[in-house]
Amino acid sequence: MSLVVVGLSHKSAPVELRERVAFAEPALDAAVKRASSCGDGEALLVSTCNRVELYITGAPDDVRARVLTFLAEVGTVGESALAPHLYTSADEAATRHLFRVAASLDSMVVGEPQILGQVKAAYAAARAAGTVGATLERTVQRAFAVAKRVRTETAIARSSASVASAAVALARHIFGELDGKELCILGAGKMADLAATHLVAAGCKSIVVVNRTLARAEALAKKTGGVARSFEELESALGRADIVVCSTGAVRPVVSKELVQRVMKARRGRWLCFIDIAVPRDVEQTVGELPNVYLYDVDELSNLVEGNLADRQREAEKAGGIVEEELVRFVRDEKSLGLVPTIRALRERTLALARAEAERAAARLPGVAPDALAAFAEALVNKLLHAPLTALKRDPDHTALQQAARELFGLSEEDSHSASDAAPQHKGKK
Amino acid sequence: MSPLFPLTLALYAVACALYLSHFASPGESMAKMARAALIAAFAAHAVDIGVLCVHGLHPFVNARESFAFAAWLTVGAYLLLSLRFRVPILGALIVPVTIVLLVAARVLPSPAGPAVGLLQGLHIGLATAGVALFAVAAGGAALFLMAEWQLKQHKPGKALRKGPSLDTLDKINRASILLGFPLFTVAMVLGALLAVHRPDGGAHRLLQPAYLLSTVTWGLYAALVVARVTGGWRGRRAALVTLAGFGAAVCVLLIYYSHGFGVRA
Repeated sequence: MSLVVVGLSHKSAPVELRERVAFAEPALDAAVKRASSCGDGEALLVSTCNRVELYITGAPDDVRARVLTFLAEVGTVGESALAPHLYTSADEAATRHLFRVAASLDSMVVGEPQILGQVKAAYAAARAAGTVGATLERTVQRAFAVAKRVRTETAIARSSASVASAAVALARHIFGELDGKELCILGAGKMADLAATHLVAAGCKSIVVVNRTLARAEALAKKTGGVARSFEELESALGRADIVVCSTGAVRPVVSKELVQRVMKARRGRWLCFIDIAVPRDVEQTVGELPNVYLYDVDELSNLVEGNLADRQREAEKAGGIVEEELVRFVRDEKSLGLVPTIRALRERTLALARAEAERAAARLPGVAPDALAAFAEALVNKLLHAPLTALKRDPDHTALQQAARELFGLSEEDSHSASDAAPQHKGKK
Repeated sequence: MSPLFPLTLALYAVACALYLSHFASPGESMAKMARAALIAAFAAHAVDIGVLCVHGLHPFVNARESFAFAAWLTVGAYLLLSLRFRVPILGALIVPVTIVLLVAARVLPSPAGPAVGLLQGLHIGLATAGVALFAVAAGGAALFLMAEWQLKQHKPGKALRKGPSLDTLDKINRASILLGFPLFTVAMVLGALLAVHRPDGGAHRLLQPAYLLSTVTWGLYAALVVARVTGGWRGRRAALVTLAGFGAAVCVLLIYYSHGFGVRA
């Protein structure tokens, strides 16, 4: 039985196709329940705006064909239109893919933090639907551990990857925590809205929206929970604000050096950060020369983002090494699970012999305590078995060695199977 | 040399290595270990100073012990401020300087100076404690200027990304000076009284270059305190004055340490 991944992502399919086969989070458990019939019953469905992937146990070719049909039905698209965009991997390659997805190495913006939460949501939905068995449980849990290790040991997610998040990072370089900082939005365009959303999420409050058209200012103020001010009140708004996001459509700068000099005098030198994402720019360039005033325009923010993305790419290479290292360990652990019946049979057989011989010896030696004899026999067996068991565990792929152990110790296939039956099954927690 | 000195130096070296490696590793674990190592080094250093005092080598007996005492107080001032502001980058700046001071103290000649009385000891101790806090303020000011320069150049470096915000660095500067200035002021007043009232003394002793330079130092910090508290001074200007004041304070200490404390007494 193989673990198979079949899916499509931003790398293989356009958004028009991805959005047709995507599943909303509340519908995930019902969808994964249906999808589990594409294989042997174990299934995990990861659905985000950038990918729809099914991890299913079964024969790779069968699983692919059934998932193709399933997704074609869901998206009401023809199988022939969908098939070229669908990728399939099995076994080690499928595990590697899940590890990379969870660690955000396969994301559109490498290192973005949302994907791990989305995989966790998919896992929760699959657990609720009862489609997580032993294979998926072990693989998904290891994927979470790999993602955590990547986050801890690399700087993959430490830098901003968008202009809006770079603006937040910049404000943090100046103010530290942004809780309670006052935000002034100059202009009421879409970019201002986006930057304001990020800054509010980072803790900014007391939002003041200043715009030439008061009605538009009021609309954005209502959306962000702030207050609207007319353009005539700009100077007093600047006097109170800590961070000013500028995105008016003005053709000339609306914030002059003289204005900011007056404002800074009234502010008694309190830091003032201008994030000017307007093109043409809203703030005179010389404003950035004033003491305790920090001015970043859209190009400077974009340069920061580009530098950060290059850093992320370098960290992604390091993270890829961690994934490969963990994959080798995982595959070895999986293979050693196949050794369990042989090891168990070997121990049971030899311990049974030792106990029987200890009992016989105890009958012939009335002065010796039976418990001491039994302990002696067991200790001897454990010591004798130590070297062969270590050799078996060291190389789980060495089937000839396993066969040799069975022959040398007189273990039949039945012994191994009965021991296997008695071995604990690695079922997922229900 | 106290038998604890090598251990103290080794612990400072471990703290230094951990602080520096904090910037090459993700997370905060290195910084936490560095702080623990620094606390251990500070404690070992305190015992070292105590052992030397028992043997008659108190911190003001010669320049060597004074240097070591000044280094210990600087680390103490940093640890005190780190209760409020966790700034590993400042530790990475202060601990190497401490190690240099300690090693320099060991290679200095150590002739015993004139006997130091209780009031004079208090005067020297307070002045050194004040300068130790000014050293932390100067460290914060230097980091502020570096970080601000990077921000103004629109090129925030890696150290800045892991380092504290400009606001935090400015607050460290402010807190260190507000704590250090009263200590330095009391030390100045005590020094003036001791100079005037000694047998061969008089008001003319206050015109000696060392005392005049001390007065200039005090004046710089006094102006900074007033400007910060009443004029809302902060940022670059405050950082530059802090560094100028610290430069003058170090000169004062060097004059006294190199000539023995008899200069003012």
